[in-house]
Amino acid sequence: MARVILRRFFKHKLAGIAIAVLVFLVFASAFAFTTPYSPTDQEPTNSFQKSNMDHFFGTDELGRDVFTRILYGGRVSLTVGLLSTFLSIALGVLIGALSGYFGGGIDSILMRITDAFLTFPTIFVLIILGAFLREQQVPWLKNSVLIVIIIIAALSWMWPARLVRGLFLVLRERDFVTASRALGGSSSHIIIQHVLPNCIGPIVVSGTLQMASAIITESGLSYLGFGVQPPTPTWGSILATAQNQVFRAPWIAFYPGLMIFITVMAINYIGDGLRDAFDPYVIHIEK
Amino acid sequence: MKLKFLTLFVILGLVLSACGGGGGGNASSGGTVTLIIPEEPTTLNYFMSDAAIVRQVADATSMTGLATINEKGEYAATLAQELPTLDNSGLSSDFKTVTWKLREGLKWSDGKPITSDDIKFTIEVLSNPDSGALSGTSGFDLISSIETPNDLTAVLTYTEPYPGYLNQFAYGLLPRHASGEPADMANWEWNRNPVGAGPFVLSSWASGESLTLTRNPNYYEAGKPYLDSLVFVIVPEPAAQTAMMLNSEAQFQLWPGEFKVDYDALLKGKATQHLIPGIWNMAIDFNLSAPFDGDPTAATPHPILGDIRVRQAIASAINYQSLQQDVLKGSVSDSTNPFAYGWYQCDLPRKFGFDAAKANQLLDEAGWVMGTDGIRVAKGALYAKDGTRLSLELQGYTAFDPLQLTEEFIVENLKAVGVEARIQNYDFSIIFGTFEDNSPRAISDYDMLIFDRGFTTEPQDYNFDAYHSSRIPTAENPTGGNYFRWVNPQVDSALVAAGSSFDTQTRKDAYCKIGQAIIDDLPQVYLYLFQDNYGVADNLDGYVLSTWGSMSWGAQNWKYK
Amino acid sequence: MTTYALRRILQTIPILFIISILLFFLVRSAPGGPLTSARRNPNVTKEQIQAMEEKLGLNDPLPVQYSRWIGDMLKGNLGQSIKFHRPVNDMIAERIPNTLTLVGASFFLTLLLAVPIGILSARRPYSLFDYVMTTITFIGQSIPVYWLGLGLIVIFYVVLKNPFTGLPFFPVGGMNTRGKEGELLDTLWHLVLPVTALSLGWIAWYSRFLRSSMMDILHEDYVRTARAKGASSNTVYYKHALQNAILPLITLVALDLPSLFAGALFVETIFSWPGMGRLFWDAAKGRDYPVLLGVVMITAVLIIFCNILADLAYGWLDPRVKYE
Repeated sequence: MARVILRRFFKHKLAGIAIAVLVFLVFASAFAFTTPYSPTDQEPTNSFQKSNMDHFFGTDELGRDVFTRILYGGRVSLTVGLLSTFLSIALGVLIGALSGYFGGGIDSILMRITDAFLTFPTIFVLIILGAFLREQQVPWLKNSVLIVIIIIAALSWMWPARLVRGLFLVLRERDFVTASRALGGSSSHIIIQHVLPNCIGPIVVSGTLQMASAIITESGLSYLGFGVQPPTPTWGSILATAQNQVFRAPWIAFYPGLMIFITVMAINYIGDGLRDAFDPYVIHIEK
Repeated sequence: MKLKFLTLFVILGLVLSACGGGGGGNASSGGTVTLIIPEEPTTLNYFMSDAAIVRQVADATSMTGLATINEKGEYAATLAQELPTLDNSGLSSDFKTVTWKLREGLKWSDGKPITSDDIKFTIEVLSNPDSGALSGTSGFDLISSIETPNDLTAVLTYTEPYPGYLNQFAYGLLPRHASGEPADMANWEWNRNPVGAGPFVLSSWASGESLTLTRNPNYYEAGKPYLDSLVFVIVPEPAAQTAMMLNSEAQFQLWPGEFKVDYDALLKGKATQHLIPGIWNMAIDFNLSAPFDGDPTAATPHPILGDIRVRQAIASAINYQSLQQDVLKGSVSDSTNPFAYGWYQCDLPRKFGFDAAKANQLLDEAGWVMGTDGIRVAKGALYAKDGTRLSLELQGYTAFDPLQLTEEFIVENLKAVGVEARIQNYDFSIIFGTFEDNSPRAISDYDMLIFDRGFTTEPQDYNFDAYHSSRIPTAENPTGGNYFRWVNPQVDSALVAAGSSFDTQTRKDAYCKIGQAIIDDLPQVYLYLFQDNYGVADNLDGYVLSTWGSMSWGAQNWKYK
Repeated sequence: MTTYALRRILQTIPILFIISILLFFLVRSAPGGPLTSARRNPNVTKEQIQAMEEKLGLNDPLPVQYSRWIGDMLKGNLGQSIKFHRPVNDMIAERIPNTLTLVGASFFLTLLLAVPIGILSARRPYSLFDYVMTTITFIGQSIPVYWLGLGLIVIFYVVLKNPFTGLPFFPVGGMNTRGKEGELLDTLWHLVLPVTALSLGWIAWYSRFLRSSMMDILHEDYVRTARAKGASSNTVYYKHALQNAILPLITLVALDLPSLFAGALFVETIFSWPGMGRLFWDAAKGRDYPVLLGVVMITAVLIIFCNILADLAYGWLDPRVKYE
């Protein structure tokens, strides 16, 4: 089945290109340390250089290589995107599965909570939650990247939860479930072995979209100053400090935004391709 | 169908832009100056101000008082006929009685006369502990009685001589008839619509957008202000601010983010950036006592920083010139001690300037050997156990670009001599929090702290709190300000001397002694002094930028060329 | 239906309570607080600060502060801004219309463009038009709002100038030019750039959604039946497909409201638009917690209200849905 899906996926030419772009970005950030500069190497006398052979994207106000900083920034943005999505899906699948499979009282309570979270004005709560966690001064929470991952996940698990719940509501009436139950299968066995595998398609599709959204959210928060804290470079915070120098050195503001744009677009194309690839195996449930 | 729609949209856009195009730009007609501010002031009452932005706007309307401080740092009489001094008997020979005489015919912006009763009222408000005042209350509790023998004269009696007696009335007078009860000042309507003696009066406040001030017909200087109105527009986005100056939509920009050299090049012919010495002094504070040990007192010395040679090495590792000229593009000036401006300015040279070789030598002597990863390790150090890495946490507050740039630069400087500095920034509220809130500097949980600090024309209270050995914050004394846990008896006595004399020279000598002690003993390393920067349109005339003033100080003298 | 609406409203009350408790403790248990900049002021003494704290009731135990706050809120009083010393009600009331204008204009523009694009794409799938639109919508969905806003300012306010007047095409910010407050044409002119920045993503997203939604429906049996019975193309598309595709769109819009306010926050900051998002951001920087809580609660109420409206509209539009 996987081969069929893959074949169908690559029929989508653009999705194939997008995967290539994304893989390239991931490798580029992973191998960011191979550039001749480190993200913190300063040459204050060489500041605000335009793009040239030495510095592909020019230099910033401290003479640091913008290209290198963008690659390192990519690490943060991609990591936040990936990990927060994983966390959010893990949480969402758990809640959605329990809710959809058992129904009744459990469903009622869990859905109430989900609804409550869905009515949060997300950006506001992210800012408040982020500020709160950063001020805790607990040793293991000192890393602002970790904090951003946690808060984004905490406010996006509702989508996979709803999705999975909907899928479960339908799938649990299917024959293979009845059969399994008749044969004496336990609930957890049924959930994990029979129902979940059928959900992978929509979850993966939804997950890619969530990852795109997470990257935009993280950049937005860092841009506002409420996300990843300096000196860690991230696309959003580079863009924020570049605001003061838009007229002197527009490239410092241009490239981070461009990178966000390319990454998100690539992920969106991949998601689109995946959606088409999984098509007939999946029941259409909207986001 | 869609294409038609698109065309319609474009045409509509062009039409709208042509229609609306007239508004916004042309300022030379009608004498209006537009000033750009990055955030909204929370009040127009200076005494309730919690941020520097309040003064930038309030100075044009509600801050005209008996005296003012001019750009040279000298006092000048404004609403008062003259400054009370020993020579004209305004100040009694025992320094305890001050007589203020108002000019004749003064009126508030609403037409009512300004009388000595308003002076009395101002004192009642600012000496009332429940008023909620956050600024400008120093010394008002020392006034024991006020007499108003006539409408123009107020005689103040102090319980003890107070050197800042002129400073007290340099920030505005409050009208009794138009405000409210002294204890209720925090809730006065006046705070958002002041009746003042300044050159302009608030005519509209569009929340989040702009404040418009128009000419005060009752302003005491005849013929002034020359301008009809001032409009303060609130523009949070730095690029938009500069763009407005580029399109001549504004004539005054507060704290432009671009460096002067770039700004001037960009706005050639339209506006120039002006830099004047400010009062905000950037320095690194060292914690001389052991951190993270639950003991906020000075009892145990800091394992790394307790050794003066390490502090000297750190001071020697920083390339001050490059920081000031290359990183901050000359927008700051050099400063070596807290008294870097004002009448108490002490021009004392550094004892440990940039000398990386010396830094390395000092660290070697102090028992720190270079480790395999480029960071030194203790071996026979004074306090630290063998094997301790020379790694220090550098704390600062968030969301301030120059601070961030400075931190990043210093980290590299220190790395070059084998010192690891880990940047750990916290929000403003944590860095400047209280002992009860477990603010790191209050409870001695920090290694190095970098931030900008400043004080006004009357420096005694701030500096006593910061450097006297009795002001180390502990559980019994939580409001102390001696965060470095510095104990220096010479400094203690100099502080007492500075606070008990009226003679400027005596006080200045005492402060300079303290400055020298800081340079010698290095509880702090001073990096640079911020300059206040303003972007001003080239066709604006008559403005005087003052360290002691603000954006709109002296606006009564502004006019277009 | 009225009973349904009432029941839904009642159901939302526990949700609001949960939200309020969570937020309150989050905001208030953080150290520091709104008096921090006062602490930095060289002229303020520590004793003055402590007096202020007492006065503001900042030292009372948290549950006491919460019940005080919630009690006030139920009476319709959202408290007093600590920084501005004004009732939060006033501050929010001033800003809500501005945000609604911005968001409303964007929403209107989005519908205006997304619906036709979605329909046309569904009618001619895989055509050149469809591919071009798909690419454009992908681009639109991926551009970060703040980057776009900055770019729009640079292009339309600084670089390009109106060939007729020599002045910039569009203003750089604010709601109105001074002296023209309330003038519709002037406000519209000021809305162009912010609305463009805000709507691009939505137009992209909704037109794609409508397209795929309609394409699904077009494959349904009843559509094939209608076509077989000889119904005209237009009837098929507009009467059957569109009506049914609109329904999930309404749900989607209602669910998407929280992100609506997010985009508005960025746009309001970049274009100096005096709305609720700006109010929140300023209050967040200044730790003005009554304002923060007020804005979040009002926004949550707005979102719930719109959700209920969407549900009711769904029920009204789709006769198959019955409410007990």
